[in-house]
Amino acid sequence: MMDSTLTESSSQKLKELIQELLESTPLTRQDKAHRLMGQVDVLTDSVEGIAIVYKSIGELSEAGIFEESPWADPSKLVGGLVNGTLKSGHPNSTIELLSELRLLSIAKGDYKTNLINAKEAENFIQEVIVSNLEFVFNEPVEETRLIMSEHELKKVHNLFNFLSGHIHLDDVKGTLAEELTLICEQRPVVTEKQRKIIALVKEKIELNPEREGDKKLLSFQRCIYRPTDNTANKSVTEYQALLEKLNNTELYVEAQEMGQSMLEYGLVSQYHAVLLKFLIENEHFQTVPVALGLTPVGETRWNELTDYLSDLILKTIHIYNAQCIYGLAKMLENGTIAREAVRSGLSNLSTIKINSQVEERILKSTKNPHQAVSARQYLMGALFRILGQPLGVGQGNNPTCQSARGISMWSQHAPAKLINMVQTAAVTNDLSFRFEGQEIKASVTGQGLVQNLDYNLDAVSVTLVPMLDRIYNEMMVRASGRAEDPHKWVNPALYGQWIQIGFASAYDYFSNAIVDFDGFVRVFYAMCHPDFNGGHRLIYPNPVGIFITSSKGDMLGFHAVSLLRVDKDPGGKFRAYFLNPNNEGRQDWGQGIKPSVFGNGEVHGESSLPLHEFAARTYAFHFNDLEAENMVDNIPAAEVEKVKKLAKESWGKSYTWLETKKKW
Amino acid sequence: MAKCFALMGWSLPVIESMQKLNKPFVVVSFPDFENYAKENNIPFVSYQFDEWSDTSNSLDLLEKLKPFDVDVAVPLFEETVEWAGALNSIYRDDPRVLNRAFLFRNKAMMKRKALIGGLRVGLFEEVYNKEGVKAFMKRLNQANLQVDGEEDSWVHIKPFASAGTVGHRLLRSMADVDNKCEDEDFPCLAESHLPGQEFSCEAYVHGGKIRFLNITEYVKLGYSNFIPEGNLLHTKRDRIMKEMQKLVDIFGIQYGMIHPEWFLTEDDTLSFGEVACRIPGGHILELAGKAYDFDALGAFVLCHDPSLTEEELNEILPPIDARPKQFYGNVMIYPHKNQISKLEIPDELKEEPYFLDHNLVPPLTTQKISDRDGFGNHFGTVNFKGEDPDRMTELLLHYEDVDFYH
Repeated sequence: MMDSTLTESSSQKLKELIQELLESTPLTRQDKAHRLMGQVDVLTDSVEGIAIVYKSIGELSEAGIFEESPWADPSKLVGGLVNGTLKSGHPNSTIELLSELRLLSIAKGDYKTNLINAKEAENFIQEVIVSNLEFVFNEPVEETRLIMSEHELKKVHNLFNFLSGHIHLDDVKGTLAEELTLICEQRPVVTEKQRKIIALVKEKIELNPEREGDKKLLSFQRCIYRPTDNTANKSVTEYQALLEKLNNTELYVEAQEMGQSMLEYGLVSQYHAVLLKFLIENEHFQTVPVALGLTPVGETRWNELTDYLSDLILKTIHIYNAQCIYGLAKMLENGTIAREAVRSGLSNLSTIKINSQVEERILKSTKNPHQAVSARQYLMGALFRILGQPLGVGQGNNPTCQSARGISMWSQHAPAKLINMVQTAAVTNDLSFRFEGQEIKASVTGQGLVQNLDYNLDAVSVTLVPMLDRIYNEMMVRASGRAEDPHKWVNPALYGQWIQIGFASAYDYFSNAIVDFDGFVRVFYAMCHPDFNGGHRLIYPNPVGIFITSSKGDMLGFHAVSLLRVDKDPGGKFRAYFLNPNNEGRQDWGQGIKPSVFGNGEVHGESSLPLHEFAARTYAFHFNDLEAENMVDNIPAAEVEKVKKLAKESWGKSYTWLETKKKW
Repeated sequence: MAKCFALMGWSLPVIESMQKLNKPFVVVSFPDFENYAKENNIPFVSYQFDEWSDTSNSLDLLEKLKPFDVDVAVPLFEETVEWAGALNSIYRDDPRVLNRAFLFRNKAMMKRKALIGGLRVGLFEEVYNKEGVKAFMKRLNQANLQVDGEEDSWVHIKPFASAGTVGHRLLRSMADVDNKCEDEDFPCLAESHLPGQEFSCEAYVHGGKIRFLNITEYVKLGYSNFIPEGNLLHTKRDRIMKEMQKLVDIFGIQYGMIHPEWFLTEDDTLSFGEVACRIPGGHILELAGKAYDFDALGAFVLCHDPSLTEEELNEILPPIDARPKQFYGNVMIYPHKNQISKLEIPDELKEEPYFLDHNLVPPLTTQKISDRDGFGNHFGTVNFKGEDPDRMTELLLHYEDVDFYH
């Protein structure tokens, strides 16, 4: 935030620099422009600063800031290039930002040029907004996170904040609907992003229920703002009053409508919490499964555990943490809650006193923490969601894919252990793990990968991740220097005994090269492809290391995912279904490799790729070294070649390749 | 009015000033700049300043400049001072003009001249090897009545003819002489350490009189300075002016600008450090131009013209007693680490009301920092502007230590 004197003086300084540029001859123009750009870069740290720059954009343009650059002629700009330029850092990102502000100014009629008219400028801005939603909602994709600094991210986010506040978004409806579908189909644990988009649409875009294209956006809005007919134009208090007047049949219908609304996109409205608590408090126990949208399996579990669950719901759920109702419903469906250990764990958790630092983190991660809801309730609610939607766990804007992957895995295969870990961490703000017979305690280890936690996470993650991250890092330190990828030892120690002993890495530490990639691919297929592993399915998630590549296929960095299963997709082709903790539905890894998040047989939360494409980005995985040996020879050479070609022509360009055979 | 100025050395801001003032000029510089000059219609004579031979000398250059009708030569950089001196002694038909130029290029000769003229200087001596420096330090220790176990007296060594701080070394002990001095340093000037507040003056001289005097307060040599001088120095302005005129008289400067460095001790003693007659470093004229609102570079060039009229002088220079309300200062930024990968402008700077602008460049990729020569290789400057010189000093000192590169 800037105060008004600062705003005024910043604006004055900018004017002086523009004046200097204006007075300079071509000889020193570059130096003056450079300084001016530096000042613009500084101003972009706040939306107020962007507003200052916007006010001067006409003068800036007239002073010749765009001259002799690719931005000189606003009618010759290419919307598709904006994203890449914004990611390339100052000064490129700064001039790109100025270019967008100039177009906005032309669109608004504030600045006139005969090169491009207002309508054309507006179309351009809309196109740019649509292809940069990651910046509009400040949810950068993996590639962006790897290459942009904090300041650059802030700057670009401020730009889009400013743009979207000043332009009609009518023409981006189709893209927003698609974006919402891509996000919701993954059923993420954290629903802020879709809620932000839905709120933006509600605020900024006029929707017509008659128009086909608008219906989808309206259906998203309904899930949050008007899940049933009875909630229309009512506050939650009014809704509560209305419920009291309904007879049993009407209540049943209401519950049905509410349950369906939730199942459609996995979004829960505040009204849902009101209804659920009303049903329990008034002992309409048979209607609860309907309100939760349960299948007969889930309903049976409810009937079995009615007392326990009723108590848990009344203690935990509130209109301000209502989203956890969806998690709860899924916990009933997937059977997690049926385990005695899980129920004991949850009961224990409901009596703890949370460490003040953890409490602070939890409240910081909650968008609008409400005083009626305790940090413990938020934590419990988040736990419902994690246990109900293990594939919805995300890492937020943090480089903590390892921790997110762990939380997801424990949630599926060791839920009680996870609950116990949450409890320890919440009470003591500490965690301790075994590593090769020694104890690693988070509180006495050094820093982890993340120094400034992004709080756009669920309450369980903010409780655990800072510690898990340090422990993971400490394990990596202790296992380094062994001339092999430390993950070979760290993965089983961190995630648990489910991880296979065998470990294959395409990269060879001794020769600093990719060695025997053919063999590597063969082991990979023997590990997971049902045609070559004896028709077996994967039992536990396999922690896989992958190369992240840009949309041009260039090597960007490393990422951790879990391979969940290999199956035929609806078209009969084998695909790898995996958990990608960065919850991004629009990734482009180059060479036409684009992970999909729905429509190819994915369960909510899974990403998928044709198996050979997934293999072509994999550099490390675990396998059963006792079983694999007999199978590797059956893999067709053509398939291996296909994977190798993709690998070599993308990330492979950053490495030396050696064809020597090695023992896997 | 001069028929044509020969600008000795390549400086885009100076060229720009000349174009704006609409004065005739020709640039004399290394052949590297020839193409750029041609493309931008800048009158240009290419000359290899670092060659001195039968075919490369001032008489040859004189011939080359004749087509341009040059009658005034202006040295922009330390290395062109003798060239300009030689040319001007011909143009003015006064051989001593060249001798004066040599005076600026030999720090020992310069000091001797100052001493003869009655300025206070430190003890100094020409030295030819490490033994010479040690002997100098020893005599200095004796003169300072050193008792066994006490620290040695500090000694500075400087090349005779380099600009600013290039090649300048501070030796604090006999051991330093062995560790810091290189054989290539010799011969050079050794001098005793002058304590006190350091500042520089930029005196625009015409007809042997100072027509405008800027005082630049050094906050830290090689890092930061501001203009005009702070309140304490300002109270000494009359005295400084007197000493400055004395310096101009002793050196016999008629036209141009001199840029000496002085030291002022708490007991009010003014000691002379050294003097140059080219464009000062540290963006001093840029700051002076802003603070006093005049074309400091253009004025620098024009003052070299003996035929400049009183009217023209008054037009281009600020009044001699001007005292700006706003102080302009800058700090040069050097990376503090050996390897850097990104530039981060700290939030406190962005929120600082005195902060004006910066021209720092982000490193392209991970960049190794080479050893620096003198203080030449800064990564850019951060400029400040404000009303309180004490606050300015504080800020400049502070940002010298802030890490902009990580």
